[in-house]
Amino acid sequence: MPRIGADDRLRRLLALIPWVAAREGPAVEEVCARFDVTEQQLAEELEVLFMCGLHPFSPDMLIEADIADGRVWIRYADFFSRPLRLTAAEGLALVASGAALLAVPGTEAEGPLARGLAKVAAVLGLGADGAVEVDLPPPPAAILDVLQRAAADHHRVEIDYYAYGKDERTTRTIEPWLVFSAMGQWYVQGWCLRAGGERSFRLDRVERAQVLDETFRPPRHRAEPRVYRPRPDDPSVTLDLDPAAAWVAEQYPTESVDRLPGGRLRVRLRVSELPWLERLLLRLGPAAVIVDGDRDVAAVAARRVLQRYRSGRPVVSDAS
Amino acid sequence: MERLERLINLVAALLAADRPLTRDELAERVPGYPPDGPAFHRAFERDKDALRTMGIPIATEKVDPTVADSPEGYRVHREQYELPDPDLDADELAALHLAVSAVRMDGGDATAAIWKLGGDAQAAAEGAEVALAGSEHLPVLFRAVTERRPVGFGYRDAARLVDPWRLTFRTGRWHLIGYDHDRGEERQFRLDRMDGVTLAGEAGAFERPAATGADPAFPWQYGDEPEVEARLAVDAGHADWAVRYVGPEAVAERRDDGTTVLGLLVRNRDAFRSFALGFLDHAEVLSPPELRDDLVAWLEAIAGGQVA
Repeated sequence: MPRIGADDRLRRLLALIPWVAAREGPAVEEVCARFDVTEQQLAEELEVLFMCGLHPFSPDMLIEADIADGRVWIRYADFFSRPLRLTAAEGLALVASGAALLAVPGTEAEGPLARGLAKVAAVLGLGADGAVEVDLPPPPAAILDVLQRAAADHHRVEIDYYAYGKDERTTRTIEPWLVFSAMGQWYVQGWCLRAGGERSFRLDRVERAQVLDETFRPPRHRAEPRVYRPRPDDPSVTLDLDPAAAWVAEQYPTESVDRLPGGRLRVRLRVSELPWLERLLLRLGPAAVIVDGDRDVAAVAARRVLQRYRSGRPVVSDAS
Repeated sequence: MERLERLINLVAALLAADRPLTRDELAERVPGYPPDGPAFHRAFERDKDALRTMGIPIATEKVDPTVADSPEGYRVHREQYELPDPDLDADELAALHLAVSAVRMDGGDATAAIWKLGGDAQAAAEGAEVALAGSEHLPVLFRAVTERRPVGFGYRDAARLVDPWRLTFRTGRWHLIGYDHDRGEERQFRLDRMDGVTLAGEAGAFERPAATGADPAFPWQYGDEPEVEARLAVDAGHADWAVRYVGPEAVAERRDDGTTVLGLLVRNRDAFRSFALGFLDHAEVLSPPELRDDLVAWLEAIAGGQVA
């Protein structure tokens, strides 16, 4: 276990001291498990603590800290009788994590998490009505369930998938490693046998999922799941973006971002598939200009969509 | 002597003090500081900053409040330091521990929060993981929400003064919902569009109204434009996905060829146009005419002058 700095050791000790002091000699193993320390580290911390107390550090003013017969004792630390309040960052991380997991389908709405969260919220002054809310998109429950079980049991799955970027649907076999939610969407990350590589698939675009008998061995180390991984041979395009379109630089992985006068940005993006770029440009409209790459992409796509509006299809006018 | 020992003794001295202690008194009561003036000063300032960063509320007060030029001293008020006991049952703490290990949030770490609640001895299970985007503004806004303090920030080049009611994470982003003093009504703000959030009032400055639970779910519902119901025809091959996204209650019509017509309430025309364009030529805005015309005009501008 790596050495941590004095600040982090203090942060942990200020939580550990009141917990141990309030109990009659808890077991060393339990203290170590609760506070993520090894027995060796715990012994070192208690040796330091044994020297601490209040001026003039006469024996009656010193904290008593000791390990005896596999039990931990801390006494005469009345000024440390309660842990330190949560910082705003800690409180937020705790409450947001709890609210997020509560939003995952399958979590009991009235279970221990909801009860614990309500108690913590009350202590933090948040009230009971959810001053921090996390909405996750509802995943297709049946598909989520199938993929989660397959990931847990290491079974391959055959899926029908609609690839939005390519605007095509395929059937493929995947080895599901992890089901996760990110950027407001649910994904399954795993090995795709068809692509011969690691891929992430959006669950709302999985149209069918069937567990196969074949099992797989999950990787010992898997990369942090990422939603889009640019490949070096993907073509790139350079766009000038108005301030209103600056979100593009935050939302997608960029090769480079340069500031232009007037709050505009020049970004270089890898383009995995043409339909993806068409959608982006049609949405951005006049807020984006291609300065390097095929400058006609947007106009060609716009004309194709316009054809549909000019083909004389009847307009349903039942909306008043 | 280890720095950890000095820090523990400093916190103990500040917590046990029943009056503010001057630097000289602290130098005498806390062993391990360099004796010389400037070196002591540097070491003490460094410790003080470290403790404050950790969240220890070190108060700076006059030693004798009745004397105008009284020297200043330091102490920690126990009621400001101590975490009230939330009285968690073991299964509740274990559930929170599981949540903290299953959710990754940029810039947020709740491990220390779990320690402060007493720690949990159970190994965290692996399961569905949730990643929440972070924001540099979250800690200060969270503090403002918990303490019910107004905040000021820049938003779309205008300064806003807002009573922060709640923080919501939705469609992959954090939003603040609160009372906008400049507009005189409830508003939503995206955190990624805020600049320079500062606390702008005393604690307990407002009451937080109960959540209505009727917050909009889709981008085209976030807005203050007059509401219209739009009809969007989606081709057979794309209808399944579209219906899963907007929900079956939005289906207005299913045609024999598999085309599905969606009825969507729109309060944000730009967002609706973006949604419709996401289908490229696999969908068509049918009505109302103003939305259809808006989309056609938008596309014509992109297509340039060569459209027949």
